Amino acid sequence: MTEGTATIRTRKFMSNRLLNRKQMVVDVIHPGQASIAKTVIREKLAKMYKAPADTIFVFGFKTAFGGGKTTGFGLIYDTLDFAKKFEPKYRLARHGLYERPKTTRKQRKERKNRMKKVRGTKKTKVGAAAAKKGKK
Amino acid sequence: MVQAGEDAEAVCQQDLPQALKLLFEMNESADKVSSLVDSMLSQVKRGELATEEGLSFLEVKYHTLLSYLINLSHVVLRKVSGASIYNEPCIDRLVELRTVLERLRPIDKRLKYQIDKLVKTAVTGESSDASSFRANPDNMVSKLDEDADVNEDEDAATEKKSVYVPPKLAPVRYDWDESAASRQEKLLERAKRRALSSAMVRELREEFLDAPTELGSRVDSGAGPSGPSKEDRERQEYEETYFTRLPETKDKRKKRKLPTIGSLANELTNFESDFRVLEGEVMPTKKRKSSKKPTGKKGKKGFKKRKSR
Repeated sequence: MTEGTATIRTRKFMSNRLLNRKQMVVDVIHPGQASIAKTVIREKLAKMYKAPADTIFVFGFKTAFGGGKTTGFGLIYDTLDFAKKFEPKYRLARHGLYERPKTTRKQRKERKNRMKKVRGTKKTKVGAAAAKKGKK
Repeated sequence: MVQAGEDAEAVCQQDLPQALKLLFEMNESADKVSSLVDSMLSQVKRGELATEEGLSFLEVKYHTLLSYLINLSHVVLRKVSGASIYNEPCIDRLVELRTVLERLRPIDKRLKYQIDKLVKTAVTGESSDASSFRANPDNMVSKLDEDADVNEDEDAATEKKSVYVPPKLAPVRYDWDESAASRQEKLLERAKRRALSSAMVRELREEFLDAPTELGSRVDSGAGPSGPSKEDRERQEYEETYFTRLPETKDKRKKRKLPTIGSLANELTNFESDFRVLEGEVMPTKKRKSSKKPTGKKGKKGFKKRKSR
C-alpha cells in the first residue's frame, strides 16, 4: 500500500458454478512502479468483490514489456473448503494451507524397494521402521 | 358452462353444411370398401388367392393392421353413439398395435428388395429356380458418369507416376475463372496496401503530416503497426480462456534480445521493392524468405563442407 496508486481492473469475469468459484483476468496498472505483490492484489480484490481474502487465489502475473501493466488470473472461491478441494497443491502451499511431505524421492524409492522384500502386513512394520533405524 | 353451450351451438351452425358433406362422403367410401371386401372374401373362398406360402412377416403385418382397424372402428362407434371412451381397453390395444406397426416399419424397409423381387417373379410367372434370387453385383456399381472415367484412368495412370501431386487438404479460396489480368491487379493492390504501411512510409507520414506521434510502448503484444500480430493475439486469447501461461518460444526469446545489426540491415535494404510498387512502375515480386542454412556442424553428407578456395 505504500507504493501509491495502482489500479486493478478485471476482465472476462465468469462465475464457474461447477468449481464453486468466480474466475477472472486481473489487469494491474502501475505506471512508474515495479509490479505489485500478490498479497496486495488479493486484498484489493477482496475489497472489490467483498470476499474474504483467504479464498482468493491469484497467479500467472506477467508484466508487459516497458512496464506499467501486469496481467494475471484470479480465482475467488465460495468457501475455503472448496478452495482446499479444487486448488492445486502448490497454490495452497503458497498460502500456507498445505505442507508437502518432506521425504525425498530417493528415500521413497528405497522404502519401496525394501517393502518389496517382505510379504503381507509386515510391509508396513518392517519396511518403514526397521529400515529407518538401519539407515541411522 | 352455459356460455360454452351457446358458443358450441353457434359453432355447430357454422359447421353444419360441411359436416353433412363429410358424412355423405364417409357413407359413400364405406359402401365402396364393403363391396371391395366382399369381392375379396369371395375370391379367397373360391381359392383363387393362396395365402399359405407367403412371408410370415407380411402376415403379421396384415393381422396387426386388421386388429387396428377393428379397434379403431369400435372407438368410432362409441364416440358416435355418445358414450365416453375413458379407460376403454380398446384404447390400450390400439396403442399396443400402433407400437408394433412402428417397429415393423424398419424391417419392412430392409425386406423391400426381397419383396419387390418376389412380386416381380409372381407377376412374370416363371423362374421357379432359386438361382434367380442370388445377389447381383452389377447393381452395386453406380451407373452415373462412370463409363468415361474408367477409360481415362488407365491412360492417366502411367503419366501420373512421374509427377507427385500433394493432397489438397486445406480449403483454398476459389476465385472462379479469374483471368491473369485481374489476378495481377489483385496482387498489385495487395502490394500497394502493404507498401503503404511499411516503415519508410510511416516515417514520412510522421514527418509531413500534422498528426501527433504515437509511441508504441509495448513491443511484445503491441508490436506491429496494427497492434499485436495474429499469433500474439491467438496466444493471448488462449491464455485467457484456459487460465494458463504458455511457455516462451525460441523465436520470442530471440526477439526479446536487442535487435542485431543483421536485422537492421534487412530492414534498410527492403524498402526499395515496397516503395516502387506505389508508383505503379514495378510489378510485385514474390517475396522469398531467406532460407535457413543448416546451422548444424555436419552437412548432408556427414562431414564438414569446406569452402572452396
